[in-house]
Amino acid sequence: MKKILQLSLGIITSVGGFLEIGSVTTAAQAGAQFGYKLLWAILLGTLCLIFLIEMSGRLAAVSKHTIVDAIRERFGFPFFFFVLLGTVLVAFMVLVAELGGIGFALQILTGIRFPWWALPVSFVVWLLMWKGTFSLIENGASLLGLVTVSFVVAALRLNPDWTSAASGLLPTLPDDDKSKYWFLAVSILGASISPYLMFFYSSGAIEDKWDRTYLPINRVIAAFGMTFGGFLSMAVLIVAALALRPKGIQVETFQQAALMMTTALPKWGFYLFALSMLFACFGAALEISLAISYFFSQGFGWNWSEDVEPSSDARFAFVYTLIIGFAAVPLMFGVDPIKITMMSMALTSATLPLAIVPFLFLMNDPIYLGKHRNGWISNTVVGVVILISFVLAVVSIPLEIMGG
Amino acid sequence: MKRLLFATVILLVSCKPPTPAEQMDAILSWVGSAIVLGNGWLRHTTPDTYTRQTLTLSHDQLRQIGAELLKSPPATIDSTELDGALTRSGTHLARMAQLVEARNSPGFNQVLDSLELDQKALKQLSDKIESSQ
Repeated sequence: MKKILQLSLGIITSVGGFLEIGSVTTAAQAGAQFGYKLLWAILLGTLCLIFLIEMSGRLAAVSKHTIVDAIRERFGFPFFFFVLLGTVLVAFMVLVAELGGIGFALQILTGIRFPWWALPVSFVVWLLMWKGTFSLIENGASLLGLVTVSFVVAALRLNPDWTSAASGLLPTLPDDDKSKYWFLAVSILGASISPYLMFFYSSGAIEDKWDRTYLPINRVIAAFGMTFGGFLSMAVLIVAALALRPKGIQVETFQQAALMMTTALPKWGFYLFALSMLFACFGAALEISLAISYFFSQGFGWNWSEDVEPSSDARFAFVYTLIIGFAAVPLMFGVDPIKITMMSMALTSATLPLAIVPFLFLMNDPIYLGKHRNGWISNTVVGVVILISFVLAVVSIPLEIMGG
Repeated sequence: MKRLLFATVILLVSCKPPTPAEQMDAILSWVGSAIVLGNGWLRHTTPDTYTRQTLTLSHDQLRQIGAELLKSPPATIDSTELDGALTRSGTHLARMAQLVEARNSPGFNQVLDSLELDQKALKQLSDKIESSQ
């Protein structure tokens, strides 16, 4: 019974915690500019994420190692440090974007501009980290994030042509603006396959003391939670395609993104959008702050747990205190969170091999996983998607910067 | 490290400014946003502060992108016509923001109708620019 409850909660929190500023912004921009044409990128990213999340849980349950622990142990400190630099830098940019997303949500609700929210929002995030437990952060924020299901309601209300939408699941070339198209495809992949999710998930499995009996639960949570989450991202794209594209509206700002929901659900759309962004970004900010602290603490061999008093793992608490404080600075100076989001999502794609390739080696190592190591399907799916993301990122980021 | 810095500088220096067609798309996007927003405000589905701030943002963006576009207008269109359409749209957006503050729905409705006419004029100019490229 306890495990059935854990399973249900795991799926619900995966759905509630799936959307964040990156997935909403990239999907909204893609729908507004290219209609359904980029649905395939969400499908590909979600498929890869299902495998990666399942692997992260399996590694933790079988080997009792988090990903970071195992990478450091297996490949040595110099290599780990290289992974740490790349991954933490990108995760930090994503954290700035998420805090900015909360600020923007509060801006459209109150009229007070987002730079003024940078400090109070960062303080609340920090306070929850300081006082909260792992399950409060994992479950509380994600349950509130279930308001993002309103994007599915909005998509259904707009009555999409499902045949056209289904055709978007196969990659097609656009007639014009190819560099923007590929840049958005890369950003969507980066938003879907965020390495911080893996670090957070594997650390959570250790915090929750998973063992081999959790392997079936892990598989179901990864498959169903991520699939439903992927549907949410697709719903955002569909709403933007139907509500904004016919009117020629591009999503350059948060204010414009809100219009997709006011069109789809006139009565409550505005508030549902604002609350969706508020809770989704809040949950993501907590998860990223935790993931970065886990990364440092596990890599350097410090005490770590969100479930103990900060005095018992002072260096773990110091890392998130420092990171959250630094992340508030660019926002206080008015740096546009949407621009940071788009660049950080594309950079996530470009740096994916840094975190995923060593992880794939680990997942095939019998010392860590014994008979539970990866089969050829997992290796192929993840390997191919990461390769595609990396190649597209390397080609499209300079093209987008140079304007095609 | 030096090579990385050099590559970054080259990339940034070679950043290409948006084409006139892209600038017109951006202008139409802001005018379209204002129209959707305006209709929402008349139906009482968007709050006053958000509506006013977004209309002001649309006005500022329109002025900024329009000024850039008018620095080197495409030869295929009459720049006086473009300037006129942009000025009218900008005036209407600023007026709409004021009317939201005054909560004057009838007046707002009239200006919104005028903005829809501006949108048509801008769309025609945009089509001309796109067909010439």
